[in-house]
Amino acid sequence: MVADFTQQIRDKAKELLEKGTVECVIGYETGSDGFSARPAFIYESAEVERLIFDNTCSHNLVKYLLNKKGKPTAVIVKGCDSRALNLLLSEKQIDRDNIFIIGVVCPGVVEWGWNNHSDQLQIRCNWCRQHNPVIYDFLVGEPVTEGPPDDFADIAAMETKSTEEREAFWREQAEHCVRCYACRQACPGCYCIDCFVEQLDPEWVGIRIAPEENLMWNTIRAFHLAGRCISCNECERVCPVNIPLSLLNRRMEREVLGLFDYRAGMSEDAVAPLITFMKDEKLGIGE
Amino acid sequence: MTKIIGKNELESWLSGIMKERTVFAPTRVDDLILFRPVRSANEIVFDYENTNLSPKELFFPRTETLFTAVPKDGDIELTPTIVDQEVILFGIRPCDARGIAILDGPFLDEPADSLWAQHREKTTMIGLSCTKPAPQCFCTSMGSAPNDASNVDIMLTQVEDGYAVETITEKGEKLLQGVELRESDVQPPVPTCDVNIPAEGIVEAITKMFDDPYWSRLADRCIHCNVCAYVCPTCYCFDIRDRTDKGKTERIRTWESCQSKGFTRIAGGYDPRADKGTRLRQRFCHKLLYFPQQFGALGCVGCGRCVIACPVNIDIREIISDVQKIGAEVGQGSN
Amino acid sequence: MSADNGPLIIGFLCNWCSYAGADMAGTSRIAYPANIRIIRVPCSGRVDPLLIVKCFEEGADAVLVAGCHPGDCHYNEGNYYSRRRFALLRALLDFMGIEKERFQVKWVSASEGKRFAKIITEFTEDMTKLGARKAS
Repeated sequence: MVADFTQQIRDKAKELLEKGTVECVIGYETGSDGFSARPAFIYESAEVERLIFDNTCSHNLVKYLLNKKGKPTAVIVKGCDSRALNLLLSEKQIDRDNIFIIGVVCPGVVEWGWNNHSDQLQIRCNWCRQHNPVIYDFLVGEPVTEGPPDDFADIAAMETKSTEEREAFWREQAEHCVRCYACRQACPGCYCIDCFVEQLDPEWVGIRIAPEENLMWNTIRAFHLAGRCISCNECERVCPVNIPLSLLNRRMEREVLGLFDYRAGMSEDAVAPLITFMKDEKLGIGE
Repeated sequence: MTKIIGKNELESWLSGIMKERTVFAPTRVDDLILFRPVRSANEIVFDYENTNLSPKELFFPRTETLFTAVPKDGDIELTPTIVDQEVILFGIRPCDARGIAILDGPFLDEPADSLWAQHREKTTMIGLSCTKPAPQCFCTSMGSAPNDASNVDIMLTQVEDGYAVETITEKGEKLLQGVELRESDVQPPVPTCDVNIPAEGIVEAITKMFDDPYWSRLADRCIHCNVCAYVCPTCYCFDIRDRTDKGKTERIRTWESCQSKGFTRIAGGYDPRADKGTRLRQRFCHKLLYFPQQFGALGCVGCGRCVIACPVNIDIREIISDVQKIGAEVGQGSN
Repeated sequence: MSADNGPLIIGFLCNWCSYAGADMAGTSRIAYPANIRIIRVPCSGRVDPLLIVKCFEEGADAVLVAGCHPGDCHYNEGNYYSRRRFALLRALLDFMGIEKERFQVKWVSASEGKRFAKIITEFTEDMTKLGARKAS
């Protein structure tokens, strides 16, 4: 079935490029190890044979649309990626008229590394309840029914640790962090022209690559994504030192769901929870 | 005659050194393998492909204070950082050792970087040759080899009942003083790395296709993080900033990468490498053109860390092949 | 942080309500512990989460944000936003190892001098009991 996806995508891409509907199709092709996918940018209809779709197609391609402003572009999105599309549409970062969305019902993505194939699904697939794209112009695959609601068991497990244990855990992770910003660069929600971490006046976070600064970096990034993160987990996948960033983002996701009954990226007109309010709400703060 | 040290003897020798000096060795940290100071020999991982981050950190730390300055008696009192700790770096692979050696080029070029020089002087390197290449390795195409001993002080090669010991430098000889080595006629195995990446003539080829749209197309998928530069044993870009806190100023140097947006932004806001393609091209021109022109060696040792770490599979091995192909075509077209 | 003097508490007080309330405590000669270092801001809504995290990073044992009561914000809505913002931030900080008791948000009006003093006194006592934050 997934092999069939590849052909459908190639056919659609060919059509879009030949008709001139788009000038580029952003999809996936097979990488240099012969089996893991990598992003592909197809500009000529003759090149559509490069496009593939399989269970190594982890990357969130939506971020690349920010480099294609004003240029009609097609993009392949899985369920999680499509939520990123809605996020960027609701935040007015991309123009709906300039994009053609090829949605793919996601078969799940496997744990892979370069030359390191596995059949085990990535951790994101355990908690994913959005295999069907929420926005698309063309759908590949039959919509599936989702499992029961996410129980956030990974977060609950962290919360059984004491405050000291959690502090020690995150300090150790902060020691690994090299501030490569791969997490930020891979994230469709991180698109600030001047990230807070690069501001000089005030200098919120110094340049030292050291635990104190690293903790501040990771904490604030997680906070800036609160109510916006669509859980594609690309940040965790790209981290060269395997920091479990999903724990931070999902802690916020659970809180936002609990307090505001809100999930990011479900509609292109959604209003994010932190830019609105309800006068009489009780949030356990200030009372 | 090969000199051999048994595994147990090796471990007790290292344990002895650990009592007096800091020993950095590959060790397991969660699911990573990193060079860390070890307190006992059983923390050392002997059987590994390579570490996630390169050992350049021991000579060019991710964060380093260059000096501190305080106002004193109407003047400034500057205290430069002194490296006074003797360090043993155990288990470094030949490719990484070559990386350190070729970084002597930029760092010791006059005026020499005092901190790099001090780290180099205070560190003794015990290399561990590779028994077999990993899938990402291509050291032999880049001037090294799995048993290349030219850049370490002592080289160990695994044999059946221990390690063959080769003393390379005076520093190595000094460290081995008093260590009992067995004589044996066992020949250490000669590992090979059969991957052939066509790096011969890359300098000329890349010069020819400097303006090719190849770079722009390749950069489409680059997300401009700093991963490749940070895992690389030969990348050395850095940022320097002063930080003043309660009257004391520290000049701090940290890793940086030419790939990040704004790396070349200058006062006034102009950025000569604002375009993604030019930034990506810079990385490969630096490694495969400018560095060899300036320092006589390719700026890549074939460790393959960037190949594994790049989130979007920008693969230097593929790029070298592509450059050779395109460079050759450009050459023909210009007739 | 300063173990002999007790906890170091940073307070962000909005100019119109809570700062005035603190002033009222002063003019009424109501004493409260001097552990709190007050920073006056125009509105609790102006308080950037970066400021809170920076305080903890620089060694504060506790942080207080005080604003007008919801519905009474001088700028109409500022405290509605800050209420949401700090609910989330508190949860995140707690998850990362800064006990949620260390970060408090309180609504204090300009006339609540006595209440302000009580809040600070109790907060300081609680933080003394909780102890200094482990050294960074």
